[in-house]
Amino acid sequence: MLLLARRNLVRDRTRFLLSVLGVAVSIGLILLLAGYRSGVYRQSSAYLDNTSGSVVVAERGIRDFLGTSSVLPPNAFDAVTSTPGVARAIPVVAQFVIFERHDRKDGFFLIGYDPAAGGGPWKLVDGREPVADDELVIDRTTARQHDIVIGDQVTLLDRDATVVGLSEETTFWAGSIAFARITTLESLARAPGLRSFLLVTPGAGVSPEAVRDRLAVPGTEVLLKSDLIANDRKLMARVYDAPIGLMVAIAFVVGVLVVGLVIYTATIERRREYGTIKALGARNRMLYRVVTTQAFIAAAAGAVAGVVLGYGAGAVLTAVRPQFRVDIEPATVALVLVAGLAMAVAAALIPARSLARVEPAEVFRG
Amino acid sequence: MSATWLLARRGLARNRVRLLVSVGGVALALSLTLALDAIYAGVANQLTTYIDRSGADVWVSQPGVRNLHMVASWLPDSVIGQVRAVDGVAEAAPILYSTDTITAGDESTVAYVIGTRADAPMGGPSEVVDGSGRVGPGEVIIDRGFARKAGVTLGDVVTVLGGEAVIVGLSEGTASLVNSVAFVSFDDFREMRAGAPVVSFVLVRTAEGASPDGVAAGIERLVAGVTAQSRATFAAGERRLVTDMSAEIISIMDVIGFVVGLAVVALTVYIATLARRREYGVLKALGARNRVLYRIVLAQAVLSVALGFIAGLAFTGLLAFLVARTDLNLELAITAASLVKVGLLAAVIAGLAAILPIRQVAELDPAIVFRRGVVT
Repeated sequence: MLLLARRNLVRDRTRFLLSVLGVAVSIGLILLLAGYRSGVYRQSSAYLDNTSGSVVVAERGIRDFLGTSSVLPPNAFDAVTSTPGVARAIPVVAQFVIFERHDRKDGFFLIGYDPAAGGGPWKLVDGREPVADDELVIDRTTARQHDIVIGDQVTLLDRDATVVGLSEETTFWAGSIAFARITTLESLARAPGLRSFLLVTPGAGVSPEAVRDRLAVPGTEVLLKSDLIANDRKLMARVYDAPIGLMVAIAFVVGVLVVGLVIYTATIERRREYGTIKALGARNRMLYRVVTTQAFIAAAAGAVAGVVLGYGAGAVLTAVRPQFRVDIEPATVALVLVAGLAMAVAAALIPARSLARVEPAEVFRG
Repeated sequence: MSATWLLARRGLARNRVRLLVSVGGVALALSLTLALDAIYAGVANQLTTYIDRSGADVWVSQPGVRNLHMVASWLPDSVIGQVRAVDGVAEAAPILYSTDTITAGDESTVAYVIGTRADAPMGGPSEVVDGSGRVGPGEVIIDRGFARKAGVTLGDVVTVLGGEAVIVGLSEGTASLVNSVAFVSFDDFREMRAGAPVVSFVLVRTAEGASPDGVAAGIERLVAGVTAQSRATFAAGERRLVTDMSAEIISIMDVIGFVVGLAVVALTVYIATLARRREYGVLKALGARNRVLYRIVLAQAVLSVALGFIAGLAFTGLLAFLVARTDLNLELAITAASLVKVGLLAAVIAGLAAILPIRQVAELDPAIVFRRGVVT
């Protein structure tokens, strides 16, 4: 029976390939867009993921790292470091700045850090860390896009800064992360002593939760780093998920319907052949089985090709535009495969039912 | 030509399956493409609403600040008086501005927080739909979309700029996808900045007859240490930047949808034409010229695209209607450019996909058309 189904399929190779292609394109589309969506949210936590510390102290009311202008009370650093159970605290100033180069603008999540304390670039691939004011480490991809090499000047608000190093893993879609000394940010913001966040590492044997509960500095918010990361992702999702989620949903519905359409057509076009099987005396059960097996083979081949296509297109996209990451999750693949295959089988059974009702003798008429 | 259309139409209508394949496939593909285009265009449209509706003709900022989104701009207080003295300036009002998170209950959103004076002639909320348009100490006006999402209303408390404020008004038409907008009192904002005598932007209304670009140039010439730009320039800078930064993530999806949509158009038209090859063979055997064959398939492709296009447009229109009725802060914009682009490219692709399978038939000798294996 499987033989029959397979033979029938392979005999007309063009049609078979077209069906497979149709399914593959649809499945690939859904996977690519869904993977793109999850990649977009994951990327937002690159800095926190790569910087030590498991507890973060921010201004009261601030529960996100990205897109906020946190200003800690002046005594926060001393109060935190003198709290028992705190091994070290990295002070950083985070500010979003726009820089200009050759009249093209781009956004930086500028991190001001103290090289002695940490919190700087974790993967410096060229040059050195900033040692003087108005020196910058920027992302390598961003540098390439703007034709910036080490030693070049970029305009940062009202001053010029010199690029002294290039880092990697620091680009994402909303801009890239750049690093400067903490004093550079203080003067940019015209706020001496400005600190945005403290990244706190608990002492040996002290849990992050214990440190969080113990830190009670007035005017601050104390969060686990993991919660802050989750908040950032949620914030990004809340901001962007209306259009992105809607697009993925449209792609899903259209993609699955195209799978159905392709398989429906393929089955209908083979109606004559199924009629022949029936005229030769095959039972309806047999007919259904041949039809569904064929639909399944075409859909499965298409689905496999679609998964390859989705991953391939994702890899190409990330290679061309490193600030976009495509994370196709196994659960998404499973969901799309199940929906696609179910649609394919359903689409094949609809025309098969009308065939089953036909008398064998009528098959050859018209 | 009318005979061609008749044949083409009949060929499509006679067989419902073929109609379904070519029109249905094209309709699905174009629904995808048009809807994604509309989402992208809607997002891009919203990006400059605050600037567009601020009422200011010229924006004065810290040197080098050429847009609003997520920037920090600080100017000394004294700038306001200097700007007022410039020729062509009718009114000048300061705002304080910061990008911050506002929180209500479990909901939070990134917002442009604007500090305005209660009597400010510009820079305040442009459309207050509920409550008051003036903010006093400890008060805030937030966007209605966010208020609805967070389940708060007038009299409730939100956290903004590290303090708490009571909602006195709800505004509309200022939020974009990327951020919401909240208005607080100038003095509260300044207190938050430890009372430093600074402002973020000076908004300028020009005198009647004065050109905003001319006034901006005058301000830059006469007031030291500022950048001044007309609203149009400032909004264009904002749009370029935010499109680069935030809308690009959506434009990439739009492009993917577009490419895949065209591929599906090509595929379905190709399949539908292939299935009809036998009939074209018959036509050819009956003495039809190749030109006629091509005309018929092209007419069919155009018909499929036209019907599919109408279906896709209807779908997108319906989606826009439904989305506008939800709390999603999203607007779908169906633009003429998108319709032309999608329609034309789909027609071209469909035409090519229809000609491809028919070329084989066209090359045949009419006499051998009926031989089995050539045309099935």
